[in-house]
Amino acid sequence: MKKIVLKIKVNGKKYRLKINPNFRLLDLLRDQLRLTGTKEGCGIGECGACTVMIDGSPINSCLVLAGQCEGKEVLTIEGLEVEGKLHPLQEAFINQGAVQCGFCTPGMIMSAKALLDHNPQPSEEEIKEAISGNICRCTGYRQIVEAIKGAAGKSG
Amino acid sequence: MIDFDFIRVKTLDKALKFLQEKGSVTRLLAGGTDLLIELRGLTLDDPAAPRYILDISGIEELKDIREANGSLSIGPLTPHSKIASSKLVKRYAPCLAQACSTIGAVQHRTVGTIGGNIINASPAADSVPALIVLDAEVTFKSAKGERRSLLKDIFIKPYQTNIQPDELLTEIRFEKLPEGAKTSFIKLGRRNALAIARMNIATVVILKEKIVKDIRISPGSTTPMPDRIRIAEEVLLGKVPTKELILTAGQKVSEEMIRRSGVRWSTPYKKPVIEALVARALRQALGMEEGAIEN
Repeated sequence: MKKIVLKIKVNGKKYRLKINPNFRLLDLLRDQLRLTGTKEGCGIGECGACTVMIDGSPINSCLVLAGQCEGKEVLTIEGLEVEGKLHPLQEAFINQGAVQCGFCTPGMIMSAKALLDHNPQPSEEEIKEAISGNICRCTGYRQIVEAIKGAAGKSG
Repeated sequence: MIDFDFIRVKTLDKALKFLQEKGSVTRLLAGGTDLLIELRGLTLDDPAAPRYILDISGIEELKDIREANGSLSIGPLTPHSKIASSKLVKRYAPCLAQACSTIGAVQHRTVGTIGGNIINASPAADSVPALIVLDAEVTFKSAKGERRSLLKDIFIKPYQTNIQPDELLTEIRFEKLPEGAKTSFIKLGRRNALAIARMNIATVVILKEKIVKDIRISPGSTTPMPDRIRIAEEVLLGKVPTKELILTAGQKVSEEMIRRSGVRWSTPYKKPVIEALVARALRQALGMEEGAIEN
């Protein structure tokens, strides 16, 4: 198996990496770049815990080969904090009790960010649809929806 | 995860050249949302394990939605999200925009492609019944030439098409529906989002002075290969669509389902449900009101 060279930008930082071609983006982020905020919940794209953004759009990083990301910009949960200041979504999740075990949270926040980036004042229905690819086993989703409502209009 | 070599190509010509030499040991990577799940399920000694993954996701010429002489031409690498939000598709083929908007979740629709949905050939594919009621044609290219086919004719059995190892799907094309054509698409899943279709249904109805001039019905996850159900369409063709005739059309679909698939463990569920689903889809297309009780 020939290694491939990958040029990729992650959370604003450029990388040139030599990797095994069978690495998923999830493996690249967690194992190679040690960005362990993104979680593997199912590995088959059914839970959304691995959601990150590629070129501004949310995707399941367990279903993307790292090689597909040549020249692309990836944003993970770690990229939301700016110089020690949390993103309004992160603050809202904490304040609204939307984080219990926390395993779904990074993926949930990335889906929420993708929504707010395109639709800064979403309706409750639009919020529910935006997170319909992310499963939470703890909260019952109410606090998550409230947190996203709260953060709407506050994100830059 | 199995080992493989990863090759990226940026042009159609380079892809066809690669497939001509190595097509039989290669799998194509477009969005990857089906492929990666399949690869995870393979062991190293599995004969289905590919030697090469050919990343075609960067071939720009396969990504457009275009108008072409009264038809719409869709590139196979167009993601579902783009089709669902396309003004052209919403205007001239609304059932297709609806169908693509139901595939997986946001994360899948961002990167998953209509070509991938077709080639995966799941009987539960959502874009396929919508394309079939549009009488869609597909084009395959290889280093040797080109062939065209009605989409419905490429399916041999569940999860298998007649696509050759050196061929690449390059275009999906259908005639724009005329002004006033009515369509519907309904998907039944175990949940409202991120669900495989338990069954789905696409219809097109064209009326002329209240009489059905053209009608197309294609149910998904109902027959082994997707198809239009002509025997149900004939119930309404040339007639004024009434609730009774619509119910009869639904019954014809369930009869055809049993004729093609046999009586299976799922039949006691699928028979009444497909009848109701067909009737509901036709009533929706025709703008009829839903009664509290189906009569």
